[in-house]
Amino acid sequence: MVDAAIRAEGVKSGARKRTSLRRMMQRKSTIAFFMALPLITLISLLVLYPAGYSLHLATLNKSMERFVGFGNFTFLFTRETFWMVVQQSCIFAITAVIFKALIGFVVAHFVHNIPAKGQRKWRGMLLVPWVIPPAMSCLAWLWLFDPSYSAFNWLIALFGGDPVPWTGNTYWARFSVILVNIWIGAPFFMIMYLAALKSVPEQLYEAAAIDGASWWQRIWYVTLPMMRNIIAITALFSLIVTFANFDIVRIMTAGGPIDTTHVFATWSFRVGIEGADIPLGASVSLFMVPILTVAAVFILRDITRRGNES
Amino acid sequence: MQKPRLSRRQFVATTAAASAVMIAAPFVRGARAAGKLAIGFWDHWVPGANDTLTKLVNDWAAKEKVEVSIDYITSQGNKNRLTIAAEALAKSGHDIFAFPTWEPQAYSKYLEPVSDVMEPLIKQHGQVNATVEYLGRADGKWIAVPATVGSQIKGPCSRIDLMKKLAGVDVQALYPAGGPPKADAWTLDAFLKAAEACHKAGASFGIGLGITSDSVDTAGAIFHSFGAALVDKGGKIQAKSDPVRQALDYLKKLAAVLPPDAPAWDDASNNKWLISGKGALIMNPPSAWAVAKRDAPQVAEQCWTHGMPAGPKGRYAPFLPYFWGVWNFGKNKPAAKSLLAALSTREAAEKMVAASGGYDLPSFAKLTDFKTWAEEGPPKGTLYHYPNPHNHQILSVAAAPAPPKIAAQIYTQGVQTKMVVRHLQGEAMEKTLAWAESECEGFMRT
Amino acid sequence: MSRDRTWALRWSYFFLVLFAIFFLVPPIYMLITSLKTSAEISAATNPWWVFHPTLGNYIQLLTSNQYLTFFRNSAVVSVFVVAVTMLISVPAAFALSRMRFWGSATLATGVFLTYLIPETLLFLPLFKMFAVFNELTGIELINHWWILLIVYPTLTVPFCTWIMIGYFASIPKELDEAALIDGAGWIQTLVMIFIPVALPGLIAATIFAFTVSWAQFLYPLAFTTSADQLVLPVGIITSLIKGDVFNWGQIMTGALLGAAPPLIIYAFLMDYYIAGLTAGATKG
Repeated sequence: MVDAAIRAEGVKSGARKRTSLRRMMQRKSTIAFFMALPLITLISLLVLYPAGYSLHLATLNKSMERFVGFGNFTFLFTRETFWMVVQQSCIFAITAVIFKALIGFVVAHFVHNIPAKGQRKWRGMLLVPWVIPPAMSCLAWLWLFDPSYSAFNWLIALFGGDPVPWTGNTYWARFSVILVNIWIGAPFFMIMYLAALKSVPEQLYEAAAIDGASWWQRIWYVTLPMMRNIIAITALFSLIVTFANFDIVRIMTAGGPIDTTHVFATWSFRVGIEGADIPLGASVSLFMVPILTVAAVFILRDITRRGNES
Repeated sequence: MQKPRLSRRQFVATTAAASAVMIAAPFVRGARAAGKLAIGFWDHWVPGANDTLTKLVNDWAAKEKVEVSIDYITSQGNKNRLTIAAEALAKSGHDIFAFPTWEPQAYSKYLEPVSDVMEPLIKQHGQVNATVEYLGRADGKWIAVPATVGSQIKGPCSRIDLMKKLAGVDVQALYPAGGPPKADAWTLDAFLKAAEACHKAGASFGIGLGITSDSVDTAGAIFHSFGAALVDKGGKIQAKSDPVRQALDYLKKLAAVLPPDAPAWDDASNNKWLISGKGALIMNPPSAWAVAKRDAPQVAEQCWTHGMPAGPKGRYAPFLPYFWGVWNFGKNKPAAKSLLAALSTREAAEKMVAASGGYDLPSFAKLTDFKTWAEEGPPKGTLYHYPNPHNHQILSVAAAPAPPKIAAQIYTQGVQTKMVVRHLQGEAMEKTLAWAESECEGFMRT
Repeated sequence: MSRDRTWALRWSYFFLVLFAIFFLVPPIYMLITSLKTSAEISAATNPWWVFHPTLGNYIQLLTSNQYLTFFRNSAVVSVFVVAVTMLISVPAAFALSRMRFWGSATLATGVFLTYLIPETLLFLPLFKMFAVFNELTGIELINHWWILLIVYPTLTVPFCTWIMIGYFASIPKELDEAALIDGAGWIQTLVMIFIPVALPGLIAATIFAFTVSWAQFLYPLAFTTSADQLVLPVGIITSLIKGDVFNWGQIMTGALLGAAPPLIIYAFLMDYYIAGLTAGATKG
């Protein structure tokens, strides 16, 4: 899609109308610029400018009256909670993405396996978590995990087990927020993989079957290589979104117990808006930038490579 | 500009007069005010309580020909505090706002001084307690009026039957309805013993260890009972002191017999604990009982609200006042002050207390004898001791007496409950104290 | 071989059922809880069964002004945001995929990259920007629902532009060349030829913009606070959950009703939605 814009426009044919075309070309770039102007304005005013502005905010003191340079960052480095947030954000994002990818892959396979006429129905059912606004579905999870009324604990008790403190201790709480994240995100992977599976030419499987390849070998040597790009891109995108996640943690645990489920976004909200310390909050969110930069580099490389291929 | 503007002196004179006079004397509209007033009140947890407040305001508005609009803003998820922060930053919004405990101090530079409203009220209704002074005064001036609505004592609400059967404690004998408490034996040790007995019998005390106010208040009151303060009045950090060690040690023993997920509890969890019939005691104003009355009447009949256990340094109860404050960027300050005075009359307070089923507490000494508390039930007299009528406990707020801006951070970050959870989960005492010390250092940021 | 196939099929169905249970338990539980009275919930009977079903929660919410206000705000905001998004991204996508101007290649890449800057990085500076804007001009934006019309497009426009560039790129060049040679202007070409041809893409982008604006949580939480300015997700979470009051039946009802519009849209337009989701993957 993007390569279309990168590639030179091929309107230069049609020699007979060259002069009128040239006039139009001149006008064309102006029109095009104006057509893209709202987009440019929006991005520069409401994305790029605030992104830069947060850099500036991060260098001010709490009451935003004085320039303190790297003061906020050095302060953060002395905070135990900050390092825990760094650690938790990484655990949260990486585990969640790995499981989303795995579950998505497995489910996509099963859906792909069954007769085509039933696929639509299953696909629809399995996409539900992705369609419900996360804020709403998190409420259901919150109620399922409730300390006094947990429906899961009721089932566990039915089989004679001890109640699980779903959001009560650090490990279970981390497990719970990651579980919810996987639940919301896995269908997206499923859909992407399903689309990719459909684009793998059937002949490749037939050839593999003739060579006597086992079920596992077919996945390993045919499916996975064909899907590599999509797996990479989907995982990368999901990593960014998960890393910056806010609503799930905010609604499920609000960061507790003892701050151990905070990720960058929720902690930034806590210190920035609830703690009335906007500069410190901005500094916290700025720590997402290195990760995003790495992602950006990968994606840019991918785009340019694809651009060169075409 | 032709209309006469109410001068400060006149205004003081008006409010100083008896409330009846206050209501009778029509409020004179300011020239710029155009008679509009936007109010952000706290969204009450007791069903129906908002309506009475709305009616009180509307009655005043009709009399004074002021056009009012009221927003009820919940404190769930700190929504009201977010709104306050947003309005302070944008320097616009409501005229009057219901400020939770710490907010008047945090936003004192945006608040209109209200000493001219407060001084006559104190003269009329009696003194306010030290906690209200600590939270509501800055630079020698009153910055907000303690609100009846939302102010609360978070004492124990016990199950009469379970406490008697499992722990051998007769709470009705300790705190008889209609008379002074006979609670000398009701100490922190007795409390812990009862908690252990109930836990063993499967009806743990429902005390949270989260970072919302119910949890923080209980821990804070117990800290006070040991004379423990993380930061002292002068702003010096005292985390590594013996009273703090004793308090932490006690709380650890207590926490061991609380529900396992207490660290994740919020202000609703303890209510659910009580209503579900699982617990023998929670620390909460009477809203939990009020909801139980609706949804689980057999539980409500066994509830008794009473006083806190005493510690080595006294009997402290968590008191959490709400304040009504006037933004100094508001456009109709005289009207706002007039409304605050009108809402602080004895009659108005009594109506609010009745509407909230006894939940709301006026902060003035002479306003603790309304019949609502004596008569609410079942069981009759369950709220008699709620407003602390015999003054046998010291009303306090967690993290006091640190300078309010630091105390507010200690409170909102739940440092005390986090200390308990850390220590409970096996962290060494001194390590926990070092952590608390470093957190408090962080709060000194300007 | 066919025996093998049958077994593979059985296993597939078996696991699909398992996953479907995992994926559908929360919404089903929402429905169960929404049909209970507070008394039944607080009695802690079997949480997976409704003994005394009632529509009371639904009736209460659908007749409550507050909830209807949230719903209306959400609907108004989402519809406007979709319109604004389309007005910005369709011409831009057309310009970027069919017409060249100085810097257009960079811009196309840049649009893609804005997706990398999460809203969590922007809400604090935006908040401060709006406060400063208010001081300078006296125009209040914070705590009014229309502020969302300004901030939501930052989330929807880049992605929709990206999808539309993809769809426009798949339209054969001969089509617009023919139109141009026939004397049609660029705008005419876009409106008369491209938009009808790229309609599936447009629908996908519209659904996207709608679901994104319907589900947004952080921006409305940070920028709107008064009860009459709230949109559904924030409204339900801050207003229906009252610390001390026990009304989970109503909360679940509110959440379920709030999830209904995207669910309904997707039930009818799932194929477009999926086409939109996978547009990048299959055409890339």
